[in-house]
Amino acid sequence: MIRGVDLGITACKTCELVVRLGGESEGVCPRCEEPVRRRRPKAMQRAWAYLAAAALFYVPANMLVIMHTEQLPTRRDDTILSGIAHLWHSGSWDLAVLVFAASILVPVVKLASLGVLLVTTEQRSTWRQRARTKLYRVLEVIGHWSMLDVFVVALLTAVVQVGRFAKVEPGPALLPFAGVVILTMLASHSFDPRLIWDRAEKA
Amino acid sequence: MSDEQLPIPVVKPARKGGRPSAVWIVPMIALIAAGALAVKSYFSTGPTIRITFETADGIEGGKSEVRYKNVPVGTVVSVDLAKDRKHIVATVELTRGAAMLTAKDSQFWVERPRIGVGGVSGLGTLLSGAYIGVDVGVAKEESDEFTGLEKPPGVTHDQQGTRFKLTATDAGSLAPQSPVYVVHQNVGKVSALELAPDGKTVDMEVFIQAPYDKLVTTSTVFWNTSGLDVTLDASGLRVSTPSLASVVAGGVEFGTRPSDPPTPPAPENQRFVLFEDHHHAMAIPDREPLVVEMRFDEPFRGNGAGVNVEMLGVHIGDIGSISPGYDSATRTFFYDARAIVFPHRLGAAYDSLVEEGQRSGLSGPQVLQSLVARGLRAQMKSSNFLTGAYYIDLAFFPPKRNAPVVVEKPNVWVIPTEHGSSEQITDQVASILTKLDNIPFAEIGQDVGNTTRAASQLLGNLDRTVVPGVQNTLAQAGVAMGALRDSLTALRDNVAAPDSAIQQSVRTSLEQLDRAAYSLRGLADYLKSHPESLVRGRASGGEPKGSK
Repeated sequence: MIRGVDLGITACKTCELVVRLGGESEGVCPRCEEPVRRRRPKAMQRAWAYLAAAALFYVPANMLVIMHTEQLPTRRDDTILSGIAHLWHSGSWDLAVLVFAASILVPVVKLASLGVLLVTTEQRSTWRQRARTKLYRVLEVIGHWSMLDVFVVALLTAVVQVGRFAKVEPGPALLPFAGVVILTMLASHSFDPRLIWDRAEKA
Repeated sequence: MSDEQLPIPVVKPARKGGRPSAVWIVPMIALIAAGALAVKSYFSTGPTIRITFETADGIEGGKSEVRYKNVPVGTVVSVDLAKDRKHIVATVELTRGAAMLTAKDSQFWVERPRIGVGGVSGLGTLLSGAYIGVDVGVAKEESDEFTGLEKPPGVTHDQQGTRFKLTATDAGSLAPQSPVYVVHQNVGKVSALELAPDGKTVDMEVFIQAPYDKLVTTSTVFWNTSGLDVTLDASGLRVSTPSLASVVAGGVEFGTRPSDPPTPPAPENQRFVLFEDHHHAMAIPDREPLVVEMRFDEPFRGNGAGVNVEMLGVHIGDIGSISPGYDSATRTFFYDARAIVFPHRLGAAYDSLVEEGQRSGLSGPQVLQSLVARGLRAQMKSSNFLTGAYYIDLAFFPPKRNAPVVVEKPNVWVIPTEHGSSEQITDQVASILTKLDNIPFAEIGQDVGNTTRAASQLLGNLDRTVVPGVQNTLAQAGVAMGALRDSLTALRDNVAAPDSAIQQSVRTSLEQLDRAAYSLRGLADYLKSHPESLVRGRASGGEPKGSK
């Protein structure tokens, strides 16, 4: 199979003008003057960096308190896991499952999948290339949904402020959690799925 | 389209590939941020301690707080049963800044709503839920195992003051938190109260706030001011009321006997005796008591215990017990009263007696014997006819021939008795009745009748002779009054009527006076405007200004 890269031609991402880039990796499109790149620049490095940062933030995001609720006569400091446990024990198992999926499952799956993608690509593996491509597409789609937790806390904080009777405040884990979500999105965005096939071809 | 026709972009020079991308700054920042969070959370969690309580009522793991002066300083992580299954163990995670709470003598207790004698506390916990209160100790050693108190401590370590120990035979209504007064001012409280190990007395600890703790000297006496003190005794009915709070809550008051010389402030934890009331506290402290036995042949009302024993009018002791007995020889009942007396309450008299005894080489019982020989007897006397209260009076009676001998028993001094004064009273009443009987009421009645008759005769005379004369006088007085009224009418007509001669002449004189005054004013005005006229005379044709 012949790729555009092999023939030295690349399409401008912006105006779809097909240009002859030759052996160069980057140029300016003669029609729209937007940058024309053969592949996303430094895709692997960026993806690795963002993934590492996301993984680092993942620890405080789960260890620290994400939401502080005061509802007389009780007050609670919940981490993500203790919040899910509380939901489960108080009978809202459906909500518990939802929050678990959005806040625990999705970030873990994202981190793990990105890791798998990066490692296999680094190794120029030809293992299940189609499945890996599909995985990448799924990652891009579900990425947005894991912001759910952040939205829940932000929304509750804004709505539940009934003086001293009820109060919700974000905890210190919220920012690391948002960081995990954003960084995984950046990581998956910087990764270039074409590399899955590039590297394999070259080998 | 062939290859040659494809446009060629402006080629940028390729960047150096070997240099790592700037994007690696992102994980660096993430590392620093996560590290900072970790460090922060590590330093914000202080030591973990375990507190043992009787019950976990109100405390919940992961929810209840630990508060020092109502500032949250930690959280109860979990509540578990202790291994002995008799207690619960609360595991508490303190905040970093609260590490000083782990002093070995820190005290922990569960703060719940409480209504006690000292007031209402912990109402806030009705809404917020119970929390664990803590009083920071002062010890240098630290500990991570504590035994929680079931009640808030009476005194916390940060209060300035001094603790003293009290021993009481009867604590009355005193309880922890009961106030301590001096001159009716609240200066402290009972911080602890418990039964002594022997179960006979009550050990108390009182806390006196600074600077009033300096008022407690080595000779200070403490007494119980609880409740109302209603006393009915030889001196009548006496009600003494301390402050209303101590009526309800009980209280301890302290002070110094007026007779005692000033003494230095008492050291901490000095032990004092808690007297049952102010009266007892202020009494001169008793020395060795004597047990005195007396045999009466009159019955005691009630059990007799606590009846005063007086000598020379001084209250020197009380009857401790009464036991009736039967003498088969005389076939009579008798009553043995055993009293505890403090003879030194007689003061100088006692001292002199002792001195005299020592001089003549007499022992204590022998001195008593000599007193008995001189007529010392015990007698039951009524002290208050209204209440029927009575007391035992030790007094001297003329020695009788058959004076009972002082029987010596070990450690008991026996005093013979005299018939009670109540019998004498009966005799006196009888004699009064006899005298009343002798009064000739019939003759007195006759005399009174005669006197009444004479009086009515006298009144009849008065009616006949005096009354007509008085009537005449009254009629003449009426005539005189009529004449006086006529004269007054004439006078009014002459003077007050508008057309009377006096009125008219007065009016004429007044008018003339008015005119004279007018002319005088005209002259004065003229002179003011023409002062020269005084010298030159009046200018021709010059009418004085203002005159008509």
